[in-house]
Amino acid sequence: MTTYAHPEVLVSTPWVAEHWNDPKIRIVESDEDVLLYNTGHISGAVKIDWHTDLQDQLVRDYIDRQRFEELCRSKGIANDTTVIFYGDKNNWWAAYAFWVFKLFGHDQCLLMDGGRKRWELDGREWSREPEPTYPRTEYAAMEPDLSIRAFRDEVLKHSEAGKPLVDVRSPGEFSGEMLHMPDYPQEGALRGGHIPGAVSIPWSKATNDDGTFKSARELENLYCRENGLTRRARTIAYCRIGERSSHTWFALKYLLGFKHVKNYDGSWTEWGNLVGAPIERSVRPAEATALEIAAEARAAGRGEPVVTGSVGSEGDGPHHLHLSTHEGSADPYTPYSPAPGAK
Amino acid sequence: MPEVAAKLDQIVAEFAELEPRERLELLLDFANNLPPLPARLQAERDAGLHRVHECQTPVFIWVELVGGLVQIHADVAPEAPTVKGFVGILVDVFSGATPEAILQSPSDLLHRLQLSESLGMVRTRGLGGVLHFIRRQVSRVSTANPSGQQ
Repeated sequence: MTTYAHPEVLVSTPWVAEHWNDPKIRIVESDEDVLLYNTGHISGAVKIDWHTDLQDQLVRDYIDRQRFEELCRSKGIANDTTVIFYGDKNNWWAAYAFWVFKLFGHDQCLLMDGGRKRWELDGREWSREPEPTYPRTEYAAMEPDLSIRAFRDEVLKHSEAGKPLVDVRSPGEFSGEMLHMPDYPQEGALRGGHIPGAVSIPWSKATNDDGTFKSARELENLYCRENGLTRRARTIAYCRIGERSSHTWFALKYLLGFKHVKNYDGSWTEWGNLVGAPIERSVRPAEATALEIAAEARAAGRGEPVVTGSVGSEGDGPHHLHLSTHEGSADPYTPYSPAPGAK
Repeated sequence: MPEVAAKLDQIVAEFAELEPRERLELLLDFANNLPPLPARLQAERDAGLHRVHECQTPVFIWVELVGGLVQIHADVAPEAPTVKGFVGILVDVFSGATPEAILQSPSDLLHRLQLSESLGMVRTRGLGGVLHFIRRQVSRVSTANPSGQQ
């Protein structure tokens, strides 16, 4: 495989720079930082905030179909509008917004490869105009497409059946050494570790330094050859709250052409707090973990982190101890042919 | 020197008068008004010192005691204007105050600014980490050097 399975859903920054004013196109910026759009955005782009626009403020869930329709109408997005998403942090939240639009059945969704980072590296202009308003549209959404969204009970059955799960968090979060990303705030999970059977493929391995996705061949090597995933198997990706796994979900579904891949947006903040949910831990070689944490931080554009605490400081050589809380598992849980050496 | 509490009350009142969307704009004003990091501290920042590890994006804060009064210098990545705005408020309110006034000031500032509605819980928690970091540093420098003599 040398080209992406669906290359049409990924557009480059030069392409967007040429087409930003096309009336059939609406550009949407979706960031982690709620004020970043206000400091400069692609001319003509509207802002959709993952927290205040896409999530219900009372129920822990996405907005319902009616509110999604209202959101699209208010942003001048019609059913036949091509929506191009981009944002900060290598498009984490842009991929998340893309996924929500797909959840409600929006047909034409595209992602701008590299997001804000690539636009900035290109030296392109940022507009500081207030958010533009477009004529209201009529918009009719579909009921949520649950073929791309996994819930906790399904994840439990999936895990028990030994089907493939991809944990896209940092190595330290996967092993249970930390409950949050390096340098990120504690986000309230009571247990550290991963869902039994999950394979660790940090999201950042799918991107280049400029935030763009790696080539089809590199992605194929990463997900399929090195970690044993297959395009036909039902696969679930998760992270901490579903944003980094949206990024991986996008790569698997559209770039590699996985047929049945779901995002578990409840992710670790739900699983790590769920009474009775089995958790698996593995202690990784301390040195390797520290190096991977540093690579993760660099890839996220946060500079060189200072690794503190016990991580990387207990240099007693490699050890591969598995501390599994998965009931009845005397051996490390190996659900499906991981590649040699994969942990 | 205005008391910390009075300055805080004034800012809280300013935020209270605004709609949630306008509160974000005011926060951006504070971000834009955060003084640049003095040149003498840039090497320490580049070396990764004085970083607030509880926060999401790179945030560096120096708390100094000059003549018994607190001086705060900060550097926040431009791609994190929300954090920069909150740090801007803290620097504005705390600089020039006594350590006691800062340590006695309310710790529920974010709640009082009514920003949670616009920011959400995850972001609010990260910002809370910045406030706690500053209070810890204020406590540390005032204990280490209570008279504030350099």
